[in-house]
Amino acid sequence: MTETAVSEALPRRATAWGVVRKYINIYRVSLMERMAYRGDFLLATFLRFLPLVTTILLWRAAYDWAPEPKAGEVKRFQGFTFGEMVAYLMLVHISRMFSSMPGLAGGIARDVREGTLKKYLIQPLDLIGYLLSYRAAHKTAYIVTSVIPYAILFAVFVAFLQDVHAPDAVRAVAYVVSLLLAFGVGFYFETCVGLVGFWFLEITSFLYVVNTVNFFVSGQLFPIDLLPSPWREIFRMLPFQYMAYFPAAVVLGKVPTNELLPGLLIEAAWAAALAVLARLLYARGLRRYSAFGG
Amino acid sequence: MRRYFRLLSAFSRFCLANEMAFRGNFIMKVLVEVLWLGILLIFYQTLFRYTSQVGGWDAHQYLFFLGCYYTLEGLIETLFLENAIDFADNVRTGNLDFYLLKPIDEQFLVSLRKIDWSTATKIPLGWAIMAFALIGMGWRFDLGRLGGFVLLFACGAALAYSFLLILSSLSVWLVRNENLMEWWWLFTTLMRYPRENYLRGWAYPIYFACWYIVPVLLVTNVPAQSMVRVLEPWSVALLIAATAVMLYLSRRFFFYALRSYSSASS
Repeated sequence: MTETAVSEALPRRATAWGVVRKYINIYRVSLMERMAYRGDFLLATFLRFLPLVTTILLWRAAYDWAPEPKAGEVKRFQGFTFGEMVAYLMLVHISRMFSSMPGLAGGIARDVREGTLKKYLIQPLDLIGYLLSYRAAHKTAYIVTSVIPYAILFAVFVAFLQDVHAPDAVRAVAYVVSLLLAFGVGFYFETCVGLVGFWFLEITSFLYVVNTVNFFVSGQLFPIDLLPSPWREIFRMLPFQYMAYFPAAVVLGKVPTNELLPGLLIEAAWAAALAVLARLLYARGLRRYSAFGG
Repeated sequence: MRRYFRLLSAFSRFCLANEMAFRGNFIMKVLVEVLWLGILLIFYQTLFRYTSQVGGWDAHQYLFFLGCYYTLEGLIETLFLENAIDFADNVRTGNLDFYLLKPIDEQFLVSLRKIDWSTATKIPLGWAIMAFALIGMGWRFDLGRLGGFVLLFACGAALAYSFLLILSSLSVWLVRNENLMEWWWLFTTLMRYPRENYLRGWAYPIYFACWYIVPVLLVTNVPAQSMVRVLEPWSVALLIAATAVMLYLSRRFFFYALRSYSSASS
């Protein structure tokens, strides 16, 4: 037997490239699956605009009735002009396009509870790796299909955005990086929450609480700068702000240029820390796991 | 009529017993509601840190509006929302057959079979907010006004219910119900804010459409405005008329939808 024949008879050893290719394939298949429902996507995205419109009108009314500033100045709420507020509310949607992971934590908890998690244990497939590829594909599909409705939205509201400065090149790059890292923070945060299911089988109500708190603390309702003093600083120290507030603040110029790099590094550190925590929880959890069901 | 009351109290006792079987879950659900209220109040506080009025409503008046909406939302969620979702589900699975066979008004049975006690806490919380706002503005007790408010609030709730009934009746044709919750939520965003917000150039069509054509803006605005701002006879008349018309239309639409219902599976 020649040497090649021997190596082909043996089960193929997983090469580094093979591993990468495996997850790229998962990405590809998931992407195709998502693209099948673009109509649904488009409708749902348009529907989300209505609350945005009513919220913008609420802020308009608040700014209109706010005390007049000194002559020659624009009304600002903690540095935010009305235009910047509108821009912020739209930018938060973009942050969430990257960082929100609907159903991720719930899905992991369900896999644990119903025992379907074992499909990852008996295949050469890692749960977290699989989910990461899958979610990345979802996000790509979602972002690609959302470009048109969001472009329309920005075009409609462009009249409000007169006093908003377009970001320079450095800021634009920092924005893209912060969004990609927001995906990481969002993904590993949700994964950690879902892995809690190893210890408490039913976590639906826990998820509600986490999502509710996250909605507020991440700055989705309004910029966290608007909060009174101790809270503003506390919320800035938490990882939640990177899922909504931080990218929007970067592109709006609310983060000074010399703080851009440290900010991004802290965001990356949070993503890494949450990734390590997820691995730890998964390893610990598997030891408790008893694979219920057939 | 007495039969309906007896049934309603039996339903509510049954649902309460059901909830109490999973007390931990019940407490968590209540906790989430309280959390949302907290966020709502922080948002309100933040807004009024930077302005003294929003669309002509001062802080106390706006707080009253908020409490009014919160109570209304609690009432709809407690009585009707879960039933609306169940209805859509029953259309899909064909279980609606069993409801239609019962010797009782179908609209009553479909709308009120389940009482969601976990959201019922929102109602007294909403009252507390309204009471707090009234004390804050130095309101002098006036039975006539209070009675009027209760009446208008009931109209607003009935109007909101009729919209929900129409929305859930649509599921007979659409069959898919995943979006029902989202649709309803989007609808309620129009009930959350004072109408003054919409009285400006480009938003005026929204105001016109949602005040006269699909009168969803009336739901919270008329009761709250009559209580703490001005009593506009014209708006009050509009709310009462809209409620009567919409209750009638939604009932007709519901039965029309039932006639198109074609059961499912075997």
